[in-house]
Amino acid sequence: MIRRRFPWLSYLLVGTGAVLTVVPFADMLMTSFKGPDEAGTLPYRFLPRAFDLSNYRAAIQQLDLPVLFRNSVVATAMITGSVLLTSSLAGYALAKLRFPGRDFVFRLVLSTMMFPPFLFFVPHFLILVHWPLAGGNDLLGRGGAGLTVSIVALAMPFLVSSFGVFLTRQFMVSIPDEVLEAARIDGAGEFTVWWRIVVPQTRPVLVTLGLLTFVDAWNEYIWALLVSTADPDVMTLPVGIQFLQDHVDPTRTLPIVMAGLVLSVLPVLVLFLLLQKHYIRGVMLSGLK
Amino acid sequence: MVNATLAPEPTERAAPDTSAAVGIRVRARHRRRQAVVAYLFLAPTLLFYAVFLVLPLGFAVLLSTSRWAGFDLGDIHPVGLDNFAGLFADGSTFLAPILTNTLLFALGTLVLALAGSVLVATCIDKLRFQGLWRTLYFLPIVTTVVAVGNVWKYMYQPGGLVNGVLNAVGLGSVAFLQDPDTALPSVVVVQAWASVGSAILVLTAGLKSIPESYYEAAALDGAGPGTVFWRITLPLLRPSLLFVCVTQFLTGLQSFALIIVMTKGGPGDATNVAALEMYRQAFSYGDWGAASAAAFVLFAVVLAVTLVQLWLFRRKGEDA
Repeated sequence: MIRRRFPWLSYLLVGTGAVLTVVPFADMLMTSFKGPDEAGTLPYRFLPRAFDLSNYRAAIQQLDLPVLFRNSVVATAMITGSVLLTSSLAGYALAKLRFPGRDFVFRLVLSTMMFPPFLFFVPHFLILVHWPLAGGNDLLGRGGAGLTVSIVALAMPFLVSSFGVFLTRQFMVSIPDEVLEAARIDGAGEFTVWWRIVVPQTRPVLVTLGLLTFVDAWNEYIWALLVSTADPDVMTLPVGIQFLQDHVDPTRTLPIVMAGLVLSVLPVLVLFLLLQKHYIRGVMLSGLK
Repeated sequence: MVNATLAPEPTERAAPDTSAAVGIRVRARHRRRQAVVAYLFLAPTLLFYAVFLVLPLGFAVLLSTSRWAGFDLGDIHPVGLDNFAGLFADGSTFLAPILTNTLLFALGTLVLALAGSVLVATCIDKLRFQGLWRTLYFLPIVTTVVAVGNVWKYMYQPGGLVNGVLNAVGLGSVAFLQDPDTALPSVVVVQAWASVGSAILVLTAGLKSIPESYYEAAALDGAGPGTVFWRITLPLLRPSLLFVCVTQFLTGLQSFALIIVMTKGGPGDATNVAALEMYRQAFSYGDWGAASAAAFVLFAVVLAVTLVQLWLFRRKGEDA
C-alpha cells in the first residue's frame, strides 16, 4: 500500500539502506590507496589523492600474503571437500538404505545441531594438543604440541557438517526408489549407485552446500586464531591481517591493512557474485546466518 | 574397495524361482549387507561425532568440575561445582557486566536488525532492480569478520568517516569505541549492519507468501496503508518475524568474533560478553575450569531460548 502511493519513498528508503551497506566497503577500498599521512586525519576526505598501488605491494610483502593465501586455500579446500563427501555419503545412507538404527542416527544428526560452536573451542583445542602420536606426542598424548602445529588442525573441527548431512538427506529422499532398484538389478553395488546416480541427481544441493561451506571456511576466524597461536606458520588470511593490524603501528599500517583486506575479501565476493542464486538458496534453507 | 566387496551377487536376484525358504534367506542376507554398507557410508560422520562431539562434551563437563594446569592429563583435580560458584561469587564480573552485556548485545542487534529489515523488506517488494538490491544488502554476510570489524573500527576513529561526517555537519567528535558508555552500542550497530541482509531475505520471502487477494479486499473496503500494514501484513508475517527474532537473538548470544576484532572486550569490561570471557579465561589465563563453566552457563541460556522458541512455534501450529 505504502509502496504504491509513494514509490519514491520506497526507493529513497531502500536506496539509503543500500548506500549505508556499501559505504564501509567503499571506505575500505579508498583507504587502501591512501598514503600514510592521508588516512585517519580530519577533515575527512573520502577519495585518495592518487590511486597508488604501493599499499598492495607492501601488503603482499609485509603480510607474507602468498603463504596466508595458501593456508586459507588448503584449509578451505579440505573442509569443503570433506563436508561434501561425508554429507552425501551419510545423506544417502539415511535417505535410501534400510538398516537397524536408522531413525536413531537421523535423530542424532538433528540433535547435534543443537550444540552451539562456542562449547567446543576449548575441548577441541585440548584434544588436538593431546592427539596421540602426533607432533612429538606419545601414545597417551603427552610431551609434544600434537596436531596443533599441522595445517590439518585448521580444518579438523569442521570436516563434518550435521546441517550438510541433513540437507543432502532431505534432497535424496525424493529420488525415486525404482531408479536405484533398476541399477541394483543391473548389478551395480551401493557405492556405484551413490556415485553414478545419487550424486549427479543431487548436484544442485551439493553446489549450494559447497558454496555455503566454502564461504564459512574462508571467513572463519576464531578457530584459525587459536591454531595459529600454537603455530604461526599456519596463519590464514583473516588471522594474518589481524595480526599485522594488532602488532604494527596502526596509524602507519592502516592503508596496508585495508589493501590486505581488499585482497582477502575479493575471492569470496567474486564467487558470491557469480553463484549468488545458489548461495541465497542455501541461506534460505539453513535459515538465518 | 567398498564397491567390490558389497556388490550383490547375481544369484540373489534370481531368488524368486527357488523355494520360499531360500528366498527369505537371500532377502535376509541382502538386508544384512545393506546394513553393513549403510554403516560404512555413515562411518566418517559417526567417527567424527565420537572424536569431535561426544569426547569434547565429556571433556568439557570434566573440566568444568575440575582444576587443571593444562599439561598432564593425570593432573586433573575434581573440585565439584567450585568453578560455577566462582563465576557467581561476590566481586566476580561474570554476572554483571559480562552476562548483562551479552543480553544487551543480543537484544540490541535483534531490535536494530529487525527494525531495519522490516522497513526495507516491506519497501523492496515491488521495486525494480530486485537483484541489485539483494546483492548489495548481502555483501556484509559473505565478508570475513576481520574485514567488517577493522573497517568499522577505522570508521569510528577520531579521524574516521563517521566522525568526519559528524564534524562536517557541525557536531563534535565521539570516541565511539574508547568511551565505556558508547562502546557496546557502537559494536551492536556493526553486528546489526552485518546481519540485516539475511533478515531481509527471510522477511521478503514471508511477504511474498501473503496472497495478493487480501490486499485487494482491503483496498475495496477502503482500508488505509496503516490499517493494511497493522491488520494484514504484520499478523501474516508473524511466523517469519518470530523466526528472525529467535535466530537473531541466538546468534547475538553466541557471537564474539566481531568484539575480539574491534575492542577485545574493552574498554575495561564494557564490551565483554560471555563467549569472549570463556575464550579469555581459557586462552589468556589458562583457567580451563572457569572457561568450561562459563561455556555451560551460556549454553544453558541458549538452550532456554531454544526451548521457548520450540514452544512458541508449536503453539502457533495449534492456533492454525
